[in-house]
Amino acid sequence: MALALGRTVRRYGGMASMAPKFFLAYSIWVWMEWAVQTIALIITSFFWRAVYTDQTVIAGLAQSQTLTYVLLALIFAPFVHSTGMIYNFGYLLKEGQIAVELLRPLDFQAGQYVWRTAELWVGLILQVPLFIVALFLGMQPPLDPRLWAVFLVTAFLGHAVLFCFDWMLGCLAFYVTEIWGLSVARYGFTLFASGLLVPLALMPDWLAGILNVLPFAQALYVPLSFLTGIAPLSDAPRVWLAQLAALAVLLPLSRWVFRVAVRKVTVQGG
Amino acid sequence: MPVIQAENLSKVFHIPQKDPGVAGAVKALFRPRFQPKVAVDDVSFQVAEGEVVGYIGVNGAGKSTTIKMLTGILVPSGGQVRILGRDPHRERVANARDIGVVFGQRTQLWWDLALTESLGMVARIYDVPPTRYRQLLDQFAEILELKDLLHVPIRTMSLGQKMRAELAATLIHEPKIVYLDEPTIGLDLIVKERIREFIQQQNREQGTTVILTTHDLGDIETLCRRVLIIDAGKLIYDGPLSLIKERFGKFREITFDTASPVTTFTLPTGAEVVAAEERKLVLRFDRTRATASQVAASLMNQLEVVDFSLAEPDLANIIKHIYQGALREDGGRRTEDGGRKAEDGRPELQASLGR
Amino acid sequence: MPRYVSLYSLFLRQRLKILMEYRVNFFIGAVSTLIEQTAGLLTVWVVMQRIPLLNGWTYEELLLVYGLLALSKSLTYLFADNLWTVGREYIRTGGFDRFLVRPVDPLFHLLADRFDHQGLGHLIIGGILVSTASARLGITWDLPHLLYLVVAVLSGGLIFIGLNLITCVSAFWIMDSVPVTRVVFDMNEFAKYPLSMYNRGVQFVLTWLVPYGFASFYPANYLLGRDVGVLVWLGPAVAVTLLLIGYRLWLFGLRHYASTGS
Repeated sequence: MALALGRTVRRYGGMASMAPKFFLAYSIWVWMEWAVQTIALIITSFFWRAVYTDQTVIAGLAQSQTLTYVLLALIFAPFVHSTGMIYNFGYLLKEGQIAVELLRPLDFQAGQYVWRTAELWVGLILQVPLFIVALFLGMQPPLDPRLWAVFLVTAFLGHAVLFCFDWMLGCLAFYVTEIWGLSVARYGFTLFASGLLVPLALMPDWLAGILNVLPFAQALYVPLSFLTGIAPLSDAPRVWLAQLAALAVLLPLSRWVFRVAVRKVTVQGG
Repeated sequence: MPVIQAENLSKVFHIPQKDPGVAGAVKALFRPRFQPKVAVDDVSFQVAEGEVVGYIGVNGAGKSTTIKMLTGILVPSGGQVRILGRDPHRERVANARDIGVVFGQRTQLWWDLALTESLGMVARIYDVPPTRYRQLLDQFAEILELKDLLHVPIRTMSLGQKMRAELAATLIHEPKIVYLDEPTIGLDLIVKERIREFIQQQNREQGTTVILTTHDLGDIETLCRRVLIIDAGKLIYDGPLSLIKERFGKFREITFDTASPVTTFTLPTGAEVVAAEERKLVLRFDRTRATASQVAASLMNQLEVVDFSLAEPDLANIIKHIYQGALREDGGRRTEDGGRKAEDGRPELQASLGR
Repeated sequence: MPRYVSLYSLFLRQRLKILMEYRVNFFIGAVSTLIEQTAGLLTVWVVMQRIPLLNGWTYEELLLVYGLLALSKSLTYLFADNLWTVGREYIRTGGFDRFLVRPVDPLFHLLADRFDHQGLGHLIIGGILVSTASARLGITWDLPHLLYLVVAVLSGGLIFIGLNLITCVSAFWIMDSVPVTRVVFDMNEFAKYPLSMYNRGVQFVLTWLVPYGFASFYPANYLLGRDVGVLVWLGPAVAVTLLLIGYRLWLFGLRHYASTGS
């Protein structure tokens, strides 16, 4: 049993270690990513300063608090961007690779989760220079390590929830071939729904209420609200419980949806 | 006047050199070093109107670089090209109207469009008059057996169907010269023959000049009376197909059937064993060093020969030899520049014709 | 010239035929950009629920700026999308050689080869924004204003195309120019908001270096009757200049291609 577990860990570990190599092979893309995100950081900081020219507090959020939030949100964006599966599934389907993937001696979903999480870590490491840029743009992140610990736990739980949700969303690729359009649509929706562009606290209550129920906010707004003082630390256990409950429902559900979707390929022969 | 004139044509590429690792990459960024690579080296030839010329050589020998210079895509580093009296690069558009090009397996047709629509677009790009286009379309559909494919999108076609469609697209503007890069690769025999017939017919009836690069000897044997062979950038043969056999087919094979199992014997001079079975022996000999009768006599003296036969030199084998450098040994023009002198007559070119 | 117009319309018709064959995809492609754009718009909407003015601009005025930019941007998506992928889809695959053996201008052929329907999303959203914002702002669309709008959007579109043309030339050296194009293109995000919101450095860059300001902010000022002097008239000149620079660079890239073949 322990041996089998060790073997499994090694296998998935092998997959995980591929991710950074894959990424670094295209260094010009890394530079592009930095440049593009620096542009976004600069625009964001100017925009929110302009918002606060005549007000000091909006919906209970002070200027520095909001500014710190939106800049951190851009930096931690990989939490919501790393789970999209539509393009991935579409690509595997188009190349006929999905059969090969399903035949591998590891669980496909678990393998993808490991891969995506590894990508997330690489993504976060690559955000370090942007973190420094953001400091110059007025971001004031907290220094309390407890806040960071709670943030990380919440973010990774939320990331897992979003992964399961995206897993189901990705199954759309089995039915529609315009995967590029679908992933752009998912991306656009996520920008707003995760609280990446605006903290949910600033939104009208009804809207924030809807978005709070959707899993996108779980991976970004909810963890960041601990980090920026929007939510008190004492909320953490309740949030974690809710996230675990969501996982308990979404994980089996996502596997079932995938099985149904895959049947479409196996029946029609791709 | 020749329709294609290549005079001392050369092409040198400058390949950036990079040391391995990150340090190498950084160094390359600030101080790029380039290594010259001679792809085509002082090549001269002329092609007259209506000729069908086979252009052969291993991959990387400089075939496609030459074709790119002839079509105006690449500018030569030295020498000059004249196509129908024009510089194909400077007068690119005028030249483009007179030529047709098939680039290997890349189609020029629109993936999702039905064949007629694709052909119609190509015809419009080349300003083919509508009536002439109709005529040609009917004609091509007939010869290339495209009738049932006219309303089928390219993406659903088989390789052979695609290539037939591609040929129709390449000739729909009645080019004076066509460059065909491996038009029959990967196709079955029937399609190959159909394509060859089509090329022959265009050549015969329209006087179309054809430059054909291929690895398929059948193409060359049926279509080309003249062959150019390029190796390591140099033109090493320019002449009729028949002369390749005579000039370079210096090996012949002789097969002996013996009464008793072959044990030991001494090889006649200039001969070597190709295959030896129990009662069968195949020898190959260099006919510049021995005659068939000398070899036969020598063997008959040693063994009890029941029957023997002499095989004509096989073009495929000869060309294989050419590829392996035999031609250069035989007095093909040797390279003069210092850079590649180290190459002896048997370089690492082991590419077979089967590719 | 008439030949190119008729050729272009032929290419366009055939492309639409293909797109119509995949109707569901067509719809999703067009709508997906709409959704993507909506995210940014919702941000403005949420903020303007809380504050009356942003840098002195009302919600409707901001929408006008946003809409003008979307209209300009739609032109580059619709008519020049292949500038993004010339390296990846044509140079790397060798498909670019085909353009060079055809009796048409290779740049024309490249652009005509792809009409991208995703631009329709931008066109629709830009149209809605500009029309509703102007109605609420009481902008009357008399002939001079209408003419100004058309010229401004065209210039804006050409500015986008010119900048993409300049950056795509790098494909002749580095194969895939997307990273280069993307960085310059993304600076258009600055122009979603009034340039007066930024400091002088950013304003200078967006006016004179990557002049996306002429695709949204300056024409919006004119339409709203605000005064930024001569800059509201400079759009066409800036667009033509960029296109000329881009075309010269393109020819330079072509020459490089002709000597290296990659």
